Amino acid sequence: MANFNIDGKSQQTFDAIVIGSGISGGWAAKEFTGKGLRTLVLERGRDVKHLKDYPTTNMYPYEFPHRGALTEEIKAENPVASRCYAFREDAMHFFVKDKEHPYVQEKPFDWIRGYQVGGKSLLWARQTQRWSDFDFEGPARDDFAVDWPIRYKDLEHWYSYVERFAGIAGNRDGLAELPDGEFLPGFPLNAVEDHFRKVIHSKYTSRKVISARCAHLSQPQAVHLEQGRGKCQNRVLCQRGCPFGGYFSSNAATLPWAEKTGKLTLRPDAIVESIIYDEQQARATGVRVIDAKTKKVTEYFARVIFVNAAALNTNLILLNSTSSRFPQGLGNDSGVLGKYVAFHNYSARIYAEFDGLNQFKTDGRNPAGGGYMPRFRNLLRQETDFKRGYAAGFSAYRGFEPDMSGIGTSLKKNITENNLGPWRVNSHMMGETIPKESNYVRLSRDKKDAWGIPQLQISVSYDDNDAKMKADYLEQLEEMFTVAGFKNIRRDDASQAPGLDIHEMGGARMGHDPQTSVLNKWNQVHACKNVFVTDGACMTSTSTQNPSLTYMALTARAVDYAVAEMKRSNI
Amino acid sequence: MKRRTAIQQILILAGGVVLMPSCLKSSGKASIKLEHLDVSLEQENLLADIAETILPKTDTPGAKDLKLHLYVLKMVDDCHPEKDRKAFVQGLDSFQDYCTEKMGAAFARLSAADRERALSSISSEHTGLPVHVKDFFKIMKARCIDGYLNSEYVMSKLVVWELIPGRYNGYFPVKTRTTNG
Repeated sequence: MANFNIDGKSQQTFDAIVIGSGISGGWAAKEFTGKGLRTLVLERGRDVKHLKDYPTTNMYPYEFPHRGALTEEIKAENPVASRCYAFREDAMHFFVKDKEHPYVQEKPFDWIRGYQVGGKSLLWARQTQRWSDFDFEGPARDDFAVDWPIRYKDLEHWYSYVERFAGIAGNRDGLAELPDGEFLPGFPLNAVEDHFRKVIHSKYTSRKVISARCAHLSQPQAVHLEQGRGKCQNRVLCQRGCPFGGYFSSNAATLPWAEKTGKLTLRPDAIVESIIYDEQQARATGVRVIDAKTKKVTEYFARVIFVNAAALNTNLILLNSTSSRFPQGLGNDSGVLGKYVAFHNYSARIYAEFDGLNQFKTDGRNPAGGGYMPRFRNLLRQETDFKRGYAAGFSAYRGFEPDMSGIGTSLKKNITENNLGPWRVNSHMMGETIPKESNYVRLSRDKKDAWGIPQLQISVSYDDNDAKMKADYLEQLEEMFTVAGFKNIRRDDASQAPGLDIHEMGGARMGHDPQTSVLNKWNQVHACKNVFVTDGACMTSTSTQNPSLTYMALTARAVDYAVAEMKRSNI
Repeated sequence: MKRRTAIQQILILAGGVVLMPSCLKSSGKASIKLEHLDVSLEQENLLADIAETILPKTDTPGAKDLKLHLYVLKMVDDCHPEKDRKAFVQGLDSFQDYCTEKMGAAFARLSAADRERALSSISSEHTGLPVHVKDFFKIMKARCIDGYLNSEYVMSKLVVWELIPGRYNGYFPVKTRTTNG
């Protein structure tokens, strides 16, 4: 620590520190500043300002040198990042390149990261389905992981709270397994998605197809206009950043809102090396930060610290925050920190065609992406030889399929004729995985990053339960596709490594018991009460829903609790 | 139209890549910077003629107007694996000889109809073709079509691509004006 800076301690002291500016960190910033706390947000990547720093947002396909495709050179340099569907010519500047931030894969794991202000909230798929007690009660009912210390009733108010601000488009479907929220008008299913919905509802008692709920302003309300955001224009170019603020991101919504309070200090290029623990005060006093560019070390201090660095990086920071009180990492009395990492099994898809409903096509684009099938497997009771189940995406599309035979004037005419192909349908699996001690992350003993911080070593893999669930998904979807009259059904189980789902969770799980969990029911570190974790690292189990909405709700709830505890002088 | 504006528009048509018009170059090398492909100016002109045969000028712009051959070179150079790049160049090399043997003259000297016949024979013949000619033509044709459909001309005039649709209708009746995507 040759560059250790002890000057200006008061200038480096805040009421609250938030590590990370992604989807949950943005919420922590908004809530703390909204309650009047001077808040420092530390972001390890560069600044990205809404509108100003979306360089490709208004580009036409022909304005990209490779029309959106990746060059061989970029693919070769980024075997991991380039496997992500959104890592294309128009948005690759928002992804971590493989070379920049290496990590150790004990087993193949595609770690997809966005190091910038806003994090992956710029890039997310914007799916926002609530959890229900079928999810929170999962571990207790099916005997895995540990019992969630919260239930739906603990989070219900906070789901509503974040939904109203973020703006969620959806329909009130009245499903116990996927509770309704505070919805703006939903995006409609198209003709064939609707056909599938009707067939499934009539042939199966417990299976549903609904419009996917998503964080898009289908009809902005006053609170959204006040954020400077406008109606979603159905561009579906979201990964570039939206010039209308049509979808929710930290950049478009929570961070500017926090900034308006005058209480926010945002520091990009600030890599948190560790959280500082003071033995005498028996609390965390601040964080040690390395400037990404100058490598200068600075310490910042605050009464409360929120760790929102994204699931695995939150684990890294906690593991790297050692002291004589916590030799195995902050709050890690139990030894479970870094363990019980889980994810979503996205490794299967299925495709088909439909000959009917040819009098229709789609016009414009659907930002919700189409239909969503909530989990039906093992929902009410155990009915298969694997634990838990899967949700499924379902969408139908009808596009031009020009005749490309021949050459010359006939070819030229054919390829621009509005030659519609058949409806094409597809589904992808979103399977719950079981958190296990053997799926873990830890600090590398010998490899460090460019800032001297140990690299993260990841050891996460699928198991037999995942394989059985995947086989069931393919079998059930094929059956449902057949029932719906779809033809030429093709299964795709080209296995992808864990991580590419970008839903890695756990490692610092919530639980009742400090012996078997890191966080309590308020996302508060059991053994260090002024540190909270409200990103994916806190997740006790994964269920099947896209997790971001739940992180937002957990964050708003935890900040509310933390501030109340500060007022009571408990932290 | 001023010459400068005209050149700018051609550059934009070609897709935001800085492409020097070949007439401004005097050396024997291709007119655009290529990292991997070794293509002469003569071969570049041949590619332009082949592209024009695949997608000729009619009452709308053809391949030469849209500089599709340069787009093909750019894409093969940057976005195709080495195997494709080699096949493309070897196939292009042997295409000249194949054409002369098959049609009795170099491609550039053939009539439009004979050019079309020469290219069509590549697809229809299954034996006796020199090495990689089929691979070359497959890449050439696919990238010409790709470049054409993704050109500003087609995307703004023929099959309109909208940056801001502002709508979604999942039950849109067919047989009305259609837009792509």
